[in-house]
Amino acid sequence: MANSKTQKKSSSARRQLKKNLILLTMVLPTAIWLILLRYLPMFGITIAFKDYKIYTKAPGLINNIIHSKWVKFDNFKFLFATTDSLKMIRNTVGYNLLWIFLGLVISVSFAIILNEITNKFVAKTYQTLMFFPYFISWVVVSYFVMALLDPTNGLIVKWQIRNFGEATNWYHTSQPWPVILTLANLWKNTGYSCILYLTAITGIDKTLYEAASIDGATKWQQVKYVTLPNLRTMIAILLIMNISKIFNSDFGLFWNVPLASGSILDVTQTIDTYVYRSLAATGGNLGMTTAAGVFQNVVGFVCMLLANSVVKRIDAESSLF
Amino acid sequence: MKTRKKSRLGKPGIVSEISFYIILGLFCAACIIPFIFVVIISFSSEESIRAIGYSFRPIKWSTGAYQYVFQLGDQLWRSYFNSFFVTIVGTVTSLLMTIMYSYALFRKDFKYRNFFTFFAFFTTLFGGGLVPTFMVCKQLLHLSNNYAALIVPALISPFNIIIMRTFFSSSIPTELIEAAAIDGSGEYRTLFGIIIPIAKPGIATVGLLTALSYWNEWFLAMLYIKDSKYIPLQYLLMKMQNQADFLFKNASVIGVEASKMLRDLPSASLRMALVVFIVVPIAFAYPFFQRYIISGLTIGSVKG
Amino acid sequence: MKKIVALLLVACMIIGSFTACGKNNGGNGTDANGRPKDHVTLKMYFHGSNVSDDKKVLEEVNKYLDEKLNVTLEPIWGTWGDFDTNAVLAINGNDDVDIYFTCSWSADEYNLFAKRGAWVRLDNPENNLLEKYGKEVWNLLPDVLTTGAKIEGSDGFGVYAVPGYKDIACQLCWDINVPLLEKYGYTVDDIKKTDYYGFGEILAKVKAGEGENFYPLLIEGAVAERMVDNSIIVAGDSGSTNLLSYYINPTKTSDKGAYGDVILNKFATDEYKKFVTKTREYFLKGYIDPGLANAEQANNLRSEKQLTGQYLIGTQSYSLGYETQASAERGFQVAFVGTTPAYVDTTSSQGAMMAISTASKNPERAMMFLNLLNTDPYLFTLLDYGVEGVHYTKNDIGEVEFIENERAKYSPWTNGMGNVTLLPPQKGQGADFWTKFKAYYGAADRIPILGFTFNSDPVSNELAAVANAAAEYALTLSVGAVDPEQVLPAFLKKLNDNGMQKIIDEANAQLQNFLKNK
Repeated sequence: MANSKTQKKSSSARRQLKKNLILLTMVLPTAIWLILLRYLPMFGITIAFKDYKIYTKAPGLINNIIHSKWVKFDNFKFLFATTDSLKMIRNTVGYNLLWIFLGLVISVSFAIILNEITNKFVAKTYQTLMFFPYFISWVVVSYFVMALLDPTNGLIVKWQIRNFGEATNWYHTSQPWPVILTLANLWKNTGYSCILYLTAITGIDKTLYEAASIDGATKWQQVKYVTLPNLRTMIAILLIMNISKIFNSDFGLFWNVPLASGSILDVTQTIDTYVYRSLAATGGNLGMTTAAGVFQNVVGFVCMLLANSVVKRIDAESSLF
Repeated sequence: MKTRKKSRLGKPGIVSEISFYIILGLFCAACIIPFIFVVIISFSSEESIRAIGYSFRPIKWSTGAYQYVFQLGDQLWRSYFNSFFVTIVGTVTSLLMTIMYSYALFRKDFKYRNFFTFFAFFTTLFGGGLVPTFMVCKQLLHLSNNYAALIVPALISPFNIIIMRTFFSSSIPTELIEAAAIDGSGEYRTLFGIIIPIAKPGIATVGLLTALSYWNEWFLAMLYIKDSKYIPLQYLLMKMQNQADFLFKNASVIGVEASKMLRDLPSASLRMALVVFIVVPIAFAYPFFQRYIISGLTIGSVKG
Repeated sequence: MKKIVALLLVACMIIGSFTACGKNNGGNGTDANGRPKDHVTLKMYFHGSNVSDDKKVLEEVNKYLDEKLNVTLEPIWGTWGDFDTNAVLAINGNDDVDIYFTCSWSADEYNLFAKRGAWVRLDNPENNLLEKYGKEVWNLLPDVLTTGAKIEGSDGFGVYAVPGYKDIACQLCWDINVPLLEKYGYTVDDIKKTDYYGFGEILAKVKAGEGENFYPLLIEGAVAERMVDNSIIVAGDSGSTNLLSYYINPTKTSDKGAYGDVILNKFATDEYKKFVTKTREYFLKGYIDPGLANAEQANNLRSEKQLTGQYLIGTQSYSLGYETQASAERGFQVAFVGTTPAYVDTTSSQGAMMAISTASKNPERAMMFLNLLNTDPYLFTLLDYGVEGVHYTKNDIGEVEFIENERAKYSPWTNGMGNVTLLPPQKGQGADFWTKFKAYYGAADRIPILGFTFNSDPVSNELAAVANAAAEYALTLSVGAVDPEQVLPAFLKKLNDNGMQKIIDEANAQLQNFLKNK
């Protein structure tokens, strides 16, 4: 008896081992890719703490790094050397929070609405159109905005002059820009997250709706008690992902769309545009470039861990890990 | 069950249905208008752009840009081919790798599940930066002047892995895998024979996102491609755009020659014509993916 | 888990393979004709090229180079759009490129990267490549170029690149739309007689005549400021918006200017205040297009308007023969009125150079090649203009006429390649073009601080902060889009709060040091 039990146990252990090995082979190709293209280059992070110089005696990336002087956090200092540090951090984080929230609400509602539209041809057409912005670069978007707001030829400017005799000096007035940037961002990214939510909705077990419907739930109640709870994992995941990028900003949006205009920097300067201007001024120092990236990543990482643990506490199933 | 299904939430009220059409319609109009604008610029004459800038109402129309695009001839079709080739091969390979990786992560009984989840996600947060990555790709992996250089560096997106895992966990019941195991189905057969057909909408979505990013990719071409044989369409455009930007910016330093080169440069209308060439195939490719995504919608209540 | 550890170990070993790399002492053994014995391939990075088919040219070039130096040339044709990113990436990562284009305005800036150890010092006392293999080119270059090339780098004060012999002087000019000017009864002499502060009457008349949507004054704010105030770009200054001013003498540029040998905060001088106040007046009267105040729109707008003649007075940096060329390009007569005589400063003397990378395994051979390229008319013309009979033909007075179709597939940037005086003149330039060229640029005076480059490393944090502050105000002020009465004081305060004074002090200390050692 005892013998057969241990035999059973060991055979099940062997099965476990075999299963895990097979699953490991599934992981392997991607893991190798990650090691080669993501983990291997990570030695470059040390550049952020070095005064990177080429080691002229035996040049080579590794040698350069090894022989460059340690400068501790010197490369990070320029991020805080300006009197506007707080302003640019406020802009970066502020826009991100606002857009994470708005993006969530709008994408989820659009996904639900798309799902509700009975005419599938229209639904399909709408979906296709929502992806067009993805292909239009910020430079081209800036031409479009310019066609509306250009101080001499802009359509809106001309309309203002016709009706009020006077036009807003758009590229030198701060107030409208938070709105313009927000609209531009939603315009570009809604299609993308909308389709993720839409796909998640299609994965929801249909019998849940039938049951709700039999119980006499109104449509709004069905959304509230069936759709939204079933979307929570996708919502949580996208939320965590977005929060990990909270110190980053879309450079093209903040640079090209306002035409890099100086007078509105108080609402358009983000960490990325500040870093770009700084590096242009100081000659693209590799140490500073790397330092800026490391700073954004570390802060993002901490925020991500926080967000993940909050999600875990609320709903363990939905957390990232 | 061939008859048309009613919406699964029952019939929505006529008022709300109409307002849905309007809200989404407005948003979609906003999405398409800038593209129409691009089309208008591509048909604007160069004199018109110089005189009044980019405008919805050019002074003079012209098909010059398109004539010029077709004069690009070989390079244009070559680049078109490259874009298609890279997108198709890239998407298929990427999907395969992503599916296998995220399937293993989805399996709760996989011993190293948490490790590999973090292993992938960590790379979205920390990267070595451009220089080390460039050197690894170029010198170690010899990704230079070949198709691999356009495909390999973009194969894996940890974001897509996480998304895929989420789709798996929301659409595949654990009992299904257990049942398959009891039936003696091998892990690979379970994945390809049972799981993938069920997870089609999720796979189509991730596939779509991957295809779009391959189609849109130009930075890799700028870094690794010098031979015009391998240039994809999007980089053909970005090359012109970057050149124009640089020359405008440095006209006063480069002096005489800059203005001459600016004059010879492909015009703005030509660049917009290329944007049209880039976007149009997507409008046609989209329904291919949509078939699988939408299929989930129309199946209605018949599941399992 | 073990598997992963093993993988990581393998990965680490692979990294190791990056590090090994030795120098080849090729070039020592030569045969009877002085041709080195071992064969070498040289990779050379060019800027601004537009080359899609270099097969025919390279065939000829490499046949010739093989005979002369036992070298195969492998050019990398950087374009305007990709050179900055790619070349810097290749340099920082020590890619196996032997020779790079460098200069005072590209992203792989000459001085900065010399300090970072990217370039081989060519006159290194331990291995003086210039002495050994580069005498011919060095002796042929004008004095201003060889002086301008001597800088402080990773191996001490010396030469880190071979300067290209091209338009070496700088002269800023008012760019005049002559037909329009004459339409309103003025001549170019009327412009010459007055200055920026006296343009008002002419501008008013043209504005009134051409209507509301015509903006007669087409200026690049920063350039106009330099022209009006007689200040120049201090080499090494912040790249995007210049912060430092050195005032030159507008009549005799080799003499000291109004303030002597001192570097000033550009925005704090009386001259600057006077300039922005006048510009504001012009702006309010509608002489300046408001679009010029938007950084990402200004350059584009200016170039387009210049090409189509929608301006009366513009700003332009001049080089010899540009008047004829610009008139032909734009289709109307253009005149240039200089605000100073042509002068040579550090920036213009480092306008195009070729540096040997410290990552090169064959620096000796690279030097031999650069020497040959800059002294051999056959080789230089071949590489720059292409094959005679395929890419161009010569007319009876020896001018080059391009064969458009083939040239379109092979057009490197002429001035970025080296000694352009080796080239035959192009059609319309005249057979004696290079004699005139050498006379014009030979006559240009050198400013008192030629060779000085500001090293911003000690104040890079302040520079970063100040450059961002300047981005907020400088452009709008210099085209008159904002009121200097209100904005200038705020701007100056912000500059000071961010450490402008520290930058100025550092720059002046370096300048005094430079003058002492000269």
